[in-house]
Amino acid sequence: MPTLMTEKEVLKWIAELFEESANNVFLDTPREAIPAWDSLGVLTLMAALDERFDLVLSDAEMRAMKKAGDIVEVLRKNGKLN
Amino acid sequence: MRFIFVDEILELVPGQRIKAIKVISPEEEYFRDHFPGFPVVPGVLLTEMMAQTAGKCLDAEDPRRGKAMLAQIKSASFREWVPPGKRATIQAEIRSSRPQFATADCSVEVDQHKVCSAELFFTFVAADRFAPGYRDEVLDSYLTMQK
Repeated sequence: MPTLMTEKEVLKWIAELFEESANNVFLDTPREAIPAWDSLGVLTLMAALDERFDLVLSDAEMRAMKKAGDIVEVLRKNGKLN
Repeated sequence: MRFIFVDEILELVPGQRIKAIKVISPEEEYFRDHFPGFPVVPGVLLTEMMAQTAGKCLDAEDPRRGKAMLAQIKSASFREWVPPGKRATIQAEIRSSRPQFATADCSVEVDQHKVCSAELFFTFVAADRFAPGYRDEVLDSYLTMQK
């Protein structure tokens, strides 16, 4: 079972996934501010959530995520946050 | 130049794993430039071998999903040079396979030595985007032999 992450660790994980500096990703950072969070990035995120958190999301749930904090909230809602 | 980097599938469990071979002809045109006096298979072509092999494993799983296309090289390592005339054995293990994407751990062996490995990420392109009647001749040949 994967280790639970804190909110701060999730933001760092998101930054690494999208090849951003951890200093650039906060809860309110919009998708548009993260260039790699494009259409391929959505699939990359989907795959990473599946592999890292065993969390399979629908296309609609993926589309609903508009900022880094939304990813954190999805993880919180699914009991994946410490 | 054809862009088929798999000669034959040896083993296939659709959506799970695949083993295939590619015999690297000394006549390949790219050896003229890569490199004079020191001909070796370019890493991008070894990666293409792995991508084509894993792609066939995914295509065999569910053709309705579309054709598997390499979308991202998550990681790749090249450990040994591959000279002309060698027989490359290519293997892929599908790590995850979803309707929208798939990931595969792939490797190439030559003379029982692992020469490279890669983690590849695939997305799918609908079959109607390709030319009518387009078929994967290597995959078709293997599947026909299994009947």
